[in-house]
Amino acid sequence: MEIIVYGIVNSVSLALMALGFTLVYGISRLPNFAHGAFYILAGYLAWVGIRSLNMGYIVSVLLTIFVVGILGMAMYRFFLIRVRGMPISEIIASYAMGLFILEALRWKGLKGMTFTLPVIYPGTIFLFDVPVDYQRLLVVAIGAGIVAGLWLFTKFTRLGLALRGIAQDEQAAMMLGIDSDAMATVATGLGSALAAVAAIVLLPLGNIVVEAGYQVLIFAVAVCIVGGLGSWAGAILASFIIGFAQILTVSYMQSHFQVVVALLAIILTLIAKPSGLFGRQKQLEERV
Amino acid sequence: MNMDKPLLKVEGLSKTFGGLQAVQDVSMVLYQGEILGIIGPNGSGKTTLVNLITGFIKPDKGSVKFRGRDIAGWPPHKIADLGIVRTFQNMRPYYSLEAYRNLIVPLNSPRAKRMGMGRWGERDTVALDILEEIGFERDSFVPYKKASALPTGYLKRLELARCLALKPEVIIADELFSGLSASEIASLVPLIEKLQGGGITFIMVEHRLRELFSLANRVIALDFGTKICEGSPKEVMANPRVRQAYLGPGGSD
Repeated sequence: MEIIVYGIVNSVSLALMALGFTLVYGISRLPNFAHGAFYILAGYLAWVGIRSLNMGYIVSVLLTIFVVGILGMAMYRFFLIRVRGMPISEIIASYAMGLFILEALRWKGLKGMTFTLPVIYPGTIFLFDVPVDYQRLLVVAIGAGIVAGLWLFTKFTRLGLALRGIAQDEQAAMMLGIDSDAMATVATGLGSALAAVAAIVLLPLGNIVVEAGYQVLIFAVAVCIVGGLGSWAGAILASFIIGFAQILTVSYMQSHFQVVVALLAIILTLIAKPSGLFGRQKQLEERV
Repeated sequence: MNMDKPLLKVEGLSKTFGGLQAVQDVSMVLYQGEILGIIGPNGSGKTTLVNLITGFIKPDKGSVKFRGRDIAGWPPHKIADLGIVRTFQNMRPYYSLEAYRNLIVPLNSPRAKRMGMGRWGERDTVALDILEEIGFERDSFVPYKKASALPTGYLKRLELARCLALKPEVIIADELFSGLSASEIASLVPLIEKLQGGGITFIMVEHRLRELFSLANRVIALDFGTKICEGSPKEVMANPRVRQAYLGPGGSD
């Protein structure tokens, strides 16, 4: 029972970490390797808001999500736009931005146990005799809410449908008068804001440390590769596969195998089915 | 067509890929309201020319003037915003969306909004109207089918319908007739004539010469990236260089 409850919590946590990354890649084919850095930056900004500026929890959190979203947009608008369409350069440039953010935070003194975010509602309840704290239940609720919200958004709203169209064939969308750079700006903004949401619900369970930024990036990449790049359904399924695998290793082996599981999942996927669980094959390129 | 109103003027357009001269010093004029055919054997640079005009790839040299404004090297969405839209040779609908929802992407573009193609909430109706105009029976289930379930004939119409959602000035149709049966083409021809009558100017890149020649007002022939001939369909068909390009040397009789 313990494995099931904590497996679900861990899986939803992974999904939360990965959704922003998947969203940006899904819409704009842009691998945002600064994703983990935005996650930690969001945690730090929320901490500054609550602890240093005394702005109150709600204000700090909302402001953090907003600011990180804007920073994501700015990163695309001023940096990534120059290397758009060159995947290796996109990875290097966004990873460099991430390195800059994370190491700047370390240099500012972000280390050790001093930086923590408060839980929203303290306390623990027993689910099937397994103790679960409210914050972990909140993680599951918010994760499910975001997934449901994104699903409804892309299924029933016109902007969502348009974004889905663009995700399927960006060049065709450009030919139909859609500015792909504007859409990529929106996508990186949304993706970064999702990283901030994930940070705010997940970070109270641990400390805000630079290393977690790198770890979140690894988890997000693992989930996306196993699920099939750009596929949301695949990402969610992959979160559950990797999430439960991690919990099983924690129960039967040792806890520091979590990252190993994620990396192993990447390797196995690349050997067995390189396009991932739900990866679509590339359409034939237009003949020149 | 209106011979004294050039809509699009291409001058000295060139593009090299590696060592391959894909398009070499091509100049042409498109007059308001006409149907201009572009023909040429495989690899003669037809699609590259289309890609250069629509901003898909940037020219090395030359200019593309639309109503006197040089648009060479503009990004595709800006060119589409002027009303120059294209269809793709190997149809590129949004396969996982229903036919009418395929129009929602172009209907959300700045140009469609500017041209008054329906506000929020009306766009489904506008999409169905356009589809009906282009031959999707309105009261049937066809407009509600996923694009992946539609036969080629409908997908070709869907490509045109997406263009119409932008209220275009120029439609560049890249091999609209390829993959269609003679009867399917016969049903598309009056549709294109109707759109031309409604004021849309066409560039049609085609392999199906007989059908093209019945539609086009003028034809340009390309070979090895250069323009080898220009004129009425009859003149182009009679041109020995065109016959040679299509049939090979010695096949000119």
